[in-house]
Order: sequence, then C-alpha cells, then structure tokens
Amino acid sequence: MLYFIADLLALGAINAIMAVGLNLQYGQAGILNFTYYTFVAIGAYVGAVTTMGHPPVPASEETFILQWSLPWPVALLLAGVVAGVLGLFMVLVVIRRLRSDYLAIVTVSLGFIVWDLITNYVPLFNGANGLFNVPYILNGATASEITYTLEVFGVAMVVLAVCVWVVRSIFRSPYGRVLRAIREDDVVAASFGKATTSSRVWAFVLGCVMAGLAGALLVFYVNAWNPQGFLAEESFILMAAIVIGGPGNYWGAVLGTFVFVELLSEIERYLPNFGNGALVGAGRAVLIGIVLIVVIRFRPDGLIPERWLRWYRVPAGGGQGGPAGFQSPGAPRRRLGWPRVGQRGEI
Amino acid sequence: MNQLAEAVGFGLVDAAVIALAAVGLSLQVSVTNFINFAYGDFMSFGAYVTYAANAAGLNFFPSVAVGAAGTGLLGVVSNWVVFRPLMRRKSRTLILLICTVGLSFIVQNVIVMIWGPNAEHYSVTVGNALHLGPFLFTPGDLILIGVAFTLLLALHLFMQNTKFGTALRATSNNDDLAQACGIDTGRVVMWTWAISGMLCAVAGVGLALETNSLRPTTGFNELFVVFGAIILGGIGRVYGAMLGALVIGILTEISAMFISPVYSGALAFTVVIVVLLLRPQGLLPGRGRSA
Amino acid sequence: MLQIEEVEFAYGGSQAVAGCSFDVPDRKVTGLIGPNGAGKSTLMEIIAGGLTPSSGRIVFDGTEIQGLGRIRVARLGIIRTFQTPRELTRLPVMENLVFAAPNQIGERPLQSLFRRGRWAAQERELRLKAESLLEWVGLTKLREEPAGSLSGGQRRLLEIARAMMAEPKLLLLDEPSAGVFPAVRKLIAERIREMVERGITVLVVAHNMAFLSDVADDVVVMAQGKVLRRGTLSEVRADESVVAAYLGGGHVGGTS
Repeated sequence: MLYFIADLLALGAINAIMAVGLNLQYGQAGILNFTYYTFVAIGAYVGAVTTMGHPPVPASEETFILQWSLPWPVALLLAGVVAGVLGLFMVLVVIRRLRSDYLAIVTVSLGFIVWDLITNYVPLFNGANGLFNVPYILNGATASEITYTLEVFGVAMVVLAVCVWVVRSIFRSPYGRVLRAIREDDVVAASFGKATTSSRVWAFVLGCVMAGLAGALLVFYVNAWNPQGFLAEESFILMAAIVIGGPGNYWGAVLGTFVFVELLSEIERYLPNFGNGALVGAGRAVLIGIVLIVVIRFRPDGLIPERWLRWYRVPAGGGQGGPAGFQSPGAPRRRLGWPRVGQRGEI
Repeated sequence: MNQLAEAVGFGLVDAAVIALAAVGLSLQVSVTNFINFAYGDFMSFGAYVTYAANAAGLNFFPSVAVGAAGTGLLGVVSNWVVFRPLMRRKSRTLILLICTVGLSFIVQNVIVMIWGPNAEHYSVTVGNALHLGPFLFTPGDLILIGVAFTLLLALHLFMQNTKFGTALRATSNNDDLAQACGIDTGRVVMWTWAISGMLCAVAGVGLALETNSLRPTTGFNELFVVFGAIILGGIGRVYGAMLGALVIGILTEISAMFISPVYSGALAFTVVIVVLLLRPQGLLPGRGRSA
Repeated sequence: MLQIEEVEFAYGGSQAVAGCSFDVPDRKVTGLIGPNGAGKSTLMEIIAGGLTPSSGRIVFDGTEIQGLGRIRVARLGIIRTFQTPRELTRLPVMENLVFAAPNQIGERPLQSLFRRGRWAAQERELRLKAESLLEWVGLTKLREEPAGSLSGGQRRLLEIARAMMAEPKLLLLDEPSAGVFPAVRKLIAERIREMVERGITVLVVAHNMAFLSDVADDVVVMAQGKVLRRGTLSEVRADESVVAAYLGGGHVGGTS
C-alpha cells in the first residue's frame, strides 16, 4: 500500500510536469499539439541512451549507440534541450502558415513519422524492442524499491517546481497576456504590433523542453524505454486531462492529469478482471471520451476556469502615479448622454 | 515495367477505398467546417456492423447496406448529441477538434468492447487474381472499384440534379447566407452526416476486404491517408478529394517498390506535410469550393 | 501624414481597389464613404498591412508601408479598429486595454522571466493609464468583466480606448458608429474629436451622415475602387455624381 502511494506520487509528479508544459502550449498559446508525447519519448530516449554505458548484461542483444555513461543531471538537461530543439524545428516548419486544424493534422503526422522511424530503424533505436537496463539514478541500484520511488519523486518535484515557476511567471507577465491575446484572436494581436510568431514559438519550445524533462525522469524511474509506451493515444489522454481540468490555468491542468492519467490507470490494476483484459482499458478510454465531451458541453472552460486565478499581482507602492495618467482636455467625468453605464446588454 | 503497372493497379484499388472515405469526409468538412478525427473509427464501425450482419446470416451485399445505414445513423447521432450544441454556441474549431478526438476514442473502444481487440475476417472470397492487360486484379478488387465508381457517380448526380444537392452546396459555401435564403441548414447538416457516414462505412468494408483483416484500429490507421487525400485535393473540396485519393493511392504503392514498405506511411505523411506547407489550398487551382 | 498612390487590389478576378489615390492630412479626421462594395474596407485592410496591393504605393511619414504586414505597420504607429468589434472575448476589459500598449518590456519571453522588476514598474504605469482611459469612455465599472460580455456599443468604446492605449499616430476606424444608439454615437464622435486635439490623425469609414458631420473635417468618396470626389461633407452631398453613385451603385463618369 505504501509503495502504491509512493508510485502514485512519483508518476503524478512526472505527469504534472508534462501537464504544465502541454498547458503552456495549449492553454496559454492555443497551439493544438496532438503529438506531445513524441517529445516525451524523445526526452526519454535521450535520457536513456546518454546515461547507458557498456551493456550491463554481456549476453544481452541490445544494440545502442553512444555509451557515454553521462551523470544523470546532465542527461536530464540534455533530454530537455534535445526535445526543445526538435520542437523548435517542428514549430518553425508549421506555425507560420497553418490554421489550428491543419496544425493538429501536421503534429499528428509528424508524430507518426517519428514513431515509424523509431520502431523501424533498429541501429539507432533498437526498433520496437526499446532499451532495457537504463541505469538507476542516485543510489537506486542498491536502495529498496520504495526508497528509490521516493527519491525519484523528490527529483521530479524539484523539476516540477522549476517548471511551475516558469509557467506561472509567464502566466502573470505581459508575455502571458500576449499569448492569450494571440489565442483569442491572432489578427488583433498582430494589429497591435505584437510578435505573434516568436511568442508562440517560444511557448511551444518551452513546452517541449518540459516534455523532454518529464520523459527523462520517466525513463530513470522505470529503467526501460519502449516506443509502444509513447503512442498518440497517450498524447490525447493528456490533452483530455488538460481540457477537463481547465486549460487556462496550470492548477486545473495538474488536477486533470492527476485524476485522469493517474487514478484511472491505477484503478485499472485493482479492478476485478471481468471479461477479457482489453475490456477494462477500452472501458477507461470510453469513459475518458465521454467525460471530455460532457465537460466541453457543459463547462467549456474546464473544471477550474481561467478566471479563478488572478493574473497580475503587481506589487503596490512607489507612490508615483500621475504622469502616465491620460486626461482628455475636455471634462472626462462628464458622462455625456451616456445611458446606464455599467449595465450589461442595454446599449 | 510490369511491376510498375501492377503497382499502379494496386494503387487504383487503394484509391477507390480512399476516395470513398475522402469524399465522405470532405463533404462533411465542407458543410461543418471542422475536421473529424473520429472519421476513421466511423469506417471501422461500418466494417464491423457489416461483419456482424454477415455473421448473423445475411448475405454480404445486404450486410454492407446494413453497415452503411448503421454508420449513417452513428453520424447523425453524434452530430445531434455532440456537435450541434457546440456549433450553436459558436465554439471554436479547436474545441470541436478535441471533441472529435474524444468521439474517436469512444467509438474505437466501444468496438473493442463489443467485438474484442483481435482481427476478424469476412467470410467472402475475393477470387483468384487474374491479369487484365498489364494489371493484376482479383474479382473482389474489380467489384470494389466498380462500387466506388458507381457510388461517387451517384453522389455527383445527386449533388448536381436534386434540390437537396443544391441546398447542400449552398450551405457549404456560406451557411448564414443559405439560412437567410430559407434553407433548413440544420437538416442539411444532418443529412450530410448521414451521407458521409454511409460512404465511409463502404470505405471501411473495402479497406477490410483489401487488407483481409478487420481490427478496431483499422479505420483509425487509415485516417491519415484519407487526410492526405483531402489535403492534396484542398480541404472541403469534394472533387479534389477524389484526385487526392488517386495520387496518394498510387504513390504509396509505387513507393513501396523503391523503399521498404514499412516507411510508406511515413512517406505519405511527408507528402502531406510538404503539400500543406507549399500549397495549403490543395493541388487544384482556384479558391472556390465545389461540392 | 499618409499618402495613398494609385493603389490597386484584385479579389478573385474583380478589381476591388482600382487605382485609388488620396492624402490623409495631418491632425485631421478624414471620412471615407461610398456605396457598398466601393472598396473602402479593402483599402483599410491594405493600409493596415493585412493585404498587399497588386500595385501602387502607400507612404506614411515618408516611408513606404505597402505589404509590410500587420505587425510592422502597427509598430510604425498605425492602429485600427474593426468593422465588427474584435475584442479578446475571454480576457477582462482591463487586460484588453493594457495588452494594447506598445513596447512592453515584459512581452519578451526571457524578459518576462528575469526582468520582473522592470516590467512590473512599467505595468503599474500602464494600468494607471488604462484606468483613466476606461473612465474616458465610461467603462470603469466593467473593468474586470470578460470583454465578451459587453454590449455592442460598449465594445465600440472599448475598441476606441484600446486603440488609444496603443499610442497611435494614425488611427484607422472602420465603422465606429455602426449599430449603436444615437447617444453613444455622439459620445464616440466627441471622443474622436478629442483624439484629434491630442495630435492624432484619423481616417474613418462610416455610413452615418450625422456622425460624419460631427467628426469629419473632410470626406473622400469612393466608388468602384476609385476616388470619386473629395471635399467637405456638404460639398460632397451636393455633388450629383456622388448621389448617382449611391443610387445606381454604378457607372459614373468623372473621377477626381
């Protein structure tokens, strides 16, 4: 039971990193990325392949490159960087010209291409078999299972804290406001001279970096990497979690992920095994689909809407008001024939 | 040379299936203005209903009719339950898109729950392959091409010559205007979902026949090829979709001669992306939509 | 201020703007009128950088701006409102205003993370300014409401305040008085005059003659993508070719 909770916490923290990153892309910048998990997979692969040394089991048939045996924090950062660079490449190709629905198709297509390459190009990725025996981080090789789980949880929490700090700062800054403005209406944003393309590119790349970090942590935790674990379906579940939780703010995203990605997958293990095994997984997917559609139908801004959070907490003080105030030469307080200010829907 | 001709022949069979699905999807997109990610699963659904009817003792062709009717109904119901309320609220395309993915999840996994995750086969024989000029076809292939051709021709005549077809084209051009002209756009949208559902069911059956296996993911995996076709033809343009289907079908088969077939999917996607970037309006000239 | 020289633009075969030339004088309100389909909105879109003319020049403060794109045109100080108000629906009214301010330090991704102090100070000033602009258009009480919940007239006022927030040199107003009650129309007209007194140049498309007589110093009449007549509103209204263009929507000989 204790292990169950620890496992839940560790995976929860890792999933929360993904949620925060994807939410930056979708909730703030309004970019529909249906292939977020591809970047998680890339991060995981980089994290795995750079920490691995010579095959620990001599008889194993694994083929993999590099054998750098990098220390894990370096590998973690590298995973984030590589995912970010690939995200940059992808977003630069598509973002300038495409409507949101075309963009969705392209992201899914690119995800499939990457997946195709990974599963079929054996020399680099070991094909569909993936990588095994990824080294433990910290003292994982000797520690008990539960200690290791808690350690991963700790590391993940630190990474999560950094990611939340970044997203929160963006959320409350003028940059976040520009992102939201682009999300609402990119023509208006451009008509006020805002850098629509570079703002979105940055948001996308940062989101991908977070995906890469989460992926590397995931691979350190489970010690194996397999392309089957990174299908388009996972991207969608994550996306659904964010839409359900409330795409406009990071707490909704984290909550949504925890409930839908975590609990549902954990509960599945403990359900009595009725019917055939596939039935439970299918039932879960149907449930997610239904909840998603119901939430969009009745609470379009998610369970925790954007408005619940205050965006700006500009510290008060300084005492310098005046000069910027705009006063018209006439008498601004005179409300000339202005009927019922403050009432809605009347004018 | 002979090999090339055969590849073109296989491509034609592929194209027939893709064209049915692409025209159905294109029809729906042109009227509703959002892309439907659940469309592939509608294909699987149609194929499975056909399978069930066939297994229940019905002959094959009546079973296909049952499957088509069932999928048409599924389209109408999902429009009624999911999309109509959102469209009325003027939801953004982004939201509708996510809903279609949710629907895809539901349909695909309901299929798993009913029929199980394993592959099924139709109990029909496609006959032995025979040479027809330079091509190599089975009688099943020929029937498939014939059926696809007949359906598309029928659709064309229907669109051009009936009052409903005119209403549909008007709605796809400008639904506000169509409504102002007294066209019941709600009804047009409903029938569009029905027709596009029927077409995609037939496409799903064709797909299952062609690959000789039917899985819950069959349709979903084909979806991106269908997207490829409608992107090549220009999104929402029905005749463009036919052309796109032909190009994609033949291209994938020919490419399989030169590079490992495991990459043919990746190749199709690459073509799609390149086209989308260079000519987002599709291969055909002009901006106007035909319906 | 702004010179439009022989601008042409074709929309799918039809010539929407066909060799249009006129000046927008400094610190004046220039009205742009004409029958439907005369090319007014297309021309506004071209000036704002949303469309690239097939030929001709647009010169603003001595620099050619045709085909620069919305962003660079806006950064030169040309700000526009939209024919149907396009507020950022899910953002509060206050955010709609502050967003529009130019040269915000915290708009750059890295600055937003690592230069908090600098942008926070600027943000305080911008909020004060936005506050006084809200009062200027009488929307103070709606400060925290999502902009999507405003009424049509309030949206028009919000658009005007937002445009002012952007510190424009040239303001392009597209039908600022359409669909609002006469009292609000008067208020909008008054605010536009105040802008001019503050040194802003305005080009305004409008249909309502009462509104135009309140705001416009000078009127340009467009028909069939060309300038038909230019003068004060009363001069123009007395001109037979203008009346004919409005009535017949069509073929009038003389252009000026």
